Amino acid sequence: MGINLGVRAVASLRSDEESFEALFTAEYARVAGIANRVLADPHEAEDVAQEVFIDFHRLHSASAQYAPAWLHRAAAHTALNRLRGARRRQRREIAQATEEMDRTADPQKLLEVNEDRRQVRQALARLAPRPAAVLVLRASGLSYAEVAQALGVGIGQVGTLLRRAEAALRKEVVRGTSI
Amino acid sequence: MVDEPDANAGADARHLETCTECKARYETVAGDARAITSLLAAPELKVDVASAFNRVRSAPAARPRFGFRLPVMRPGSRPVVLAFAATIALAGLVVTAIAQGGSIFTPTTVEPVPVTVADIQALSQLSAYGNLTWTTKPNLQIVTSAAEAESVSGLKPPTANNLPAAISKNVTYAATPKAVAVFTFSKDKAAAAAAGAGKNLPALPSGMDGAQLTVTAGPAVAEIFGNMTAPKAGTDITQAGVPTLIIVKSSAPVATSTQVTVQQLEDYLLSVPGISPELTNAIKAIGPGGTTLPVPVPVEFATSSKVTVQDVAGVGLGDNTGVGAGVIWVKGGSVYAVVGTIKLSDALDIANHLT
Repeated sequence: MGINLGVRAVASLRSDEESFEALFTAEYARVAGIANRVLADPHEAEDVAQEVFIDFHRLHSASAQYAPAWLHRAAAHTALNRLRGARRRQRREIAQATEEMDRTADPQKLLEVNEDRRQVRQALARLAPRPAAVLVLRASGLSYAEVAQALGVGIGQVGTLLRRAEAALRKEVVRGTSI
Repeated sequence: MVDEPDANAGADARHLETCTECKARYETVAGDARAITSLLAAPELKVDVASAFNRVRSAPAARPRFGFRLPVMRPGSRPVVLAFAATIALAGLVVTAIAQGGSIFTPTTVEPVPVTVADIQALSQLSAYGNLTWTTKPNLQIVTSAAEAESVSGLKPPTANNLPAAISKNVTYAATPKAVAVFTFSKDKAAAAAAGAGKNLPALPSGMDGAQLTVTAGPAVAEIFGNMTAPKAGTDITQAGVPTLIIVKSSAPVATSTQVTVQQLEDYLLSVPGISPELTNAIKAIGPGGTTLPVPVPVEFATSSKVTVQDVAGVGLGDNTGVGAGVIWVKGGSVYAVVGTIKLSDALDIANHLT
């Protein structure tokens, strides 16, 4: 009995590996996109996305129905946590500015874009976790239903959450620029 | 952000077409949403999924930390996982008894034993040298009160006196009466295993054929903290309650042998040609300790540490990240475990205040 069960357990592990690869292929770009929306840094966003998949795979089955929702939420929260780390933020901004300087022809325009992004991300980092996450997930292209699943709220609540979060972000952006 | 059909559906949409006040407010909200989208613009992201996947696959932590996944996440596989775990646990106890030597074994302390997953899986190979059967099968029952759990197991569930605030106060109880398993050494099976390796069986000591090792496990009682509810209709499994803490108390297992001493059984088993290096490792890793219950810790996945719990030596598993941790110890003839999605320091604190 034990050996048969062992063989079945191994077979189940193998199919889980295949499910994980399928899940990765289907969701990686989206998960990295959510992190990029928060961090405005493609390199660090991919770093976050990979960390999120590793964390997921350690404890969960890739065939779980909740897998995409879990990944979306984790991507938003992990990226927001990074955004709140002051030291990392400084380093990221320097790296980002240098990289874009190489690509952009108009330095004045670049400075403006960078300043806007910096202010918005600082404001985002000051928001409470849920409003910040709802904004980021929606701006990353998730549907209301997907945002609801990721945050564990009813679909009817998403519109209200979004509006409150937008108002809160605008307030934070204004507060940041008026200081 | 207002292009989502669900955001503005049915009666709301019809109302908007006719009400100028609401329409104006809607336009303001829509404008805000567009402004936020533009504020949250991000540099272009080009991903190479294949190389990202390779990086994730090569990260050691990409594999399950404890070698298993939370059973609540895969309801369909639960019976298979539980049956497999019970078989492995039984074989583990038998191998422990064999490794500890003497003619009777009952643990008084615990010790972490670093093993590989292959070593643990090899325990089931024991069935190649004899017959492994339950004479009294474990009969795990889920009940709703401490009194019922006590009547099933005969053990009073321990009281947790200082649970962290984040732990749900909803408790479900699980209990089982004692279970008894017997391993009977078989000359014929061992000879077949030896023949598989192209060798003859070494001379059998007197009484070896048919020698029995009896292991009694439990009774045991467990307290499961968390809202173990099914997900609401229309939602997915993330809405289901997941236990955050499990406290277990079990009578320490007892092993006895007939016809030969357990030490003779171990010596002979290890001399049988064809015994796998993994099973040999498992046996050698465990003993001899005489009175030590080994806690197998898969070296690839989990970390362990020696801790002091309720003034006795115990084994700590996991760390302070909150992903998962546990404490296991033996006191007064009982084995205790406190395990959950908590920090090791919290598990220790709960364990130290258990009465």
